[in-house]
Amino acid sequence: MNFQIPIGPQHPALKEPISLRMTVDGEVITDADLRLGYNHRGLEKLAEDKSWIQNIYLTERICGICSHSHATCFVQGVEKLMEVAPPRRGLYIRYLVSELERVHSHLLWLGVAGHEAGFDSFFMYTWRDREIVMDLLEMISGNRVHYAMNTIGGVRRDLDEGQKAKILEGIVTLRKRSEYYFRIGATEPSFVARIAGVGMLSKEQAVSLCAVGPVARASGVARDVRKEDPYAVYDELDFELCTADSCDVLGRVVVRVKELLQSYRMIEQMVKGLPDGDIVAKAPRKAKPGEVVSRYEAPRGENIHYIKANGTDKPERLKVRAPTLANYPATVVMLRKGFIADIPLIFAAIDPCICCAERTVTLVSAGSGEESIVRMSDLRRQALARSKNAPVKRNAEWPF
Amino acid sequence: MSDIEIVESLKRDLGAKALEVTNPDRRRIFLKVAPSDLVPAVTLLRDKYDCAHLSTISGVDKGEAFEFLYHLASRVAVISLRIEVPRAEPRFASICSAIPGAILYERELQEMFGVSVEGIPDGRRLNLPDDWPEGQYPLRKDWKHVRPEEVIPGGKS
Repeated sequence: MNFQIPIGPQHPALKEPISLRMTVDGEVITDADLRLGYNHRGLEKLAEDKSWIQNIYLTERICGICSHSHATCFVQGVEKLMEVAPPRRGLYIRYLVSELERVHSHLLWLGVAGHEAGFDSFFMYTWRDREIVMDLLEMISGNRVHYAMNTIGGVRRDLDEGQKAKILEGIVTLRKRSEYYFRIGATEPSFVARIAGVGMLSKEQAVSLCAVGPVARASGVARDVRKEDPYAVYDELDFELCTADSCDVLGRVVVRVKELLQSYRMIEQMVKGLPDGDIVAKAPRKAKPGEVVSRYEAPRGENIHYIKANGTDKPERLKVRAPTLANYPATVVMLRKGFIADIPLIFAAIDPCICCAERTVTLVSAGSGEESIVRMSDLRRQALARSKNAPVKRNAEWPF
Repeated sequence: MSDIEIVESLKRDLGAKALEVTNPDRRRIFLKVAPSDLVPAVTLLRDKYDCAHLSTISGVDKGEAFEFLYHLASRVAVISLRIEVPRAEPRFASICSAIPGAILYERELQEMFGVSVEGIPDGRRLNLPDDWPEGQYPLRKDWKHVRPEEVIPGGKS
């Protein structure tokens, strides 16, 4: 007999409103259906009524965690349309904030992963350290959430020597602590056993379902917009593309941990190599008719904006595709054959950002809804067979 | 492959089917095909040009026609495949057989532009509310949002 369990739109396991319908057979999920729209704000339509400058602040408010990602992706595109070249100092500061944002987002996620796996001290440690980077962001921009650093043609705030020293100091502490936690992870077998083999997504599935970001990279798909489409300063920085091939939640933790260390490297390179000069170039009020595809590697994966200009001071069309949306079809696959108790863990492992994903759209894959009558003895036989084939990976090892 | 090589190769492979190929910026290629050539073109891009990753599908209402762009990303470039569908008969084929990850974006198009994607595996209503009226397509240019009048239970005091 099949049961459907509704999880959400309001549920203690979820931090934002989304509705998951699980068709379950005992403890095992046989199908998952997602219903979005609880956070839909019609933002793309609204953008058509706002000027280019107003839209920077609008796109920044798509998301509270990766606010700089959306604003940067938008501004990058508009600069191409207006043929404005931002000064190099401005670009360095802009992408320095991007990497700091990635650090805060990944630390936040590591804490959530620890919490969902029942490792709450890990959660408290990472969130304590996240305060270091949050303080740095507040020092640079004056804000903790919406940094409002971007403007068309550069950034709005400069860095001085004292701030540069503080950033480097913060990064030293963060690096030391991050490395320490990885060692804790390595000697904490219950944590590794809890996340290994959970939420499997094969490489072929990741490619065909167009997964992005750490989810794709944890399945062995070596894709990163910073590497394959190096925008702005990324072709001048020395960093590595991080992947894992275990295809599960453990792999997603490993990828994000490695990315943290790469981000620290990039931040140091950018602070030390910060060029002199202006931080902003003057931009026109209107953009010539044209279209541009702007891509950006947000903490959660590839973020893409398609902007079409019609010669006025407002866009003809702004299309936003946030990374979480691209990962939903993959999530449905990950949830299948998992346990009910794994739902929060698997769902958290894509680092979902529902407010990002829902400036429009929903998804997919319905439960069959079939019902059948099963005898008690059959049920017992099924239960025994299932426990033997349960998707649990034993004797997992921390890969560091 | 460099951008110029990709453009030349696309012209060779598609011949007369490639209505327009432009390369306005580094690693950005726009290719226009007829709606009837959409699925073969996507399959060709996926198999020969390593474009298995569909970033998104964007749509614009151009009055007489809808313009849809399929942003396909390879490791070296983004090839944006453009089709134009007349407003009077807004229908074209689904590419889910070639790229299963397209389902979401196609459902979004159906809902937001009122087009019909033929052969879509799951054509249910998307994120718009369940009580959204039929025939209202928010991303069409002639659609304007009218805020419904607020009804205060019991009336104003």
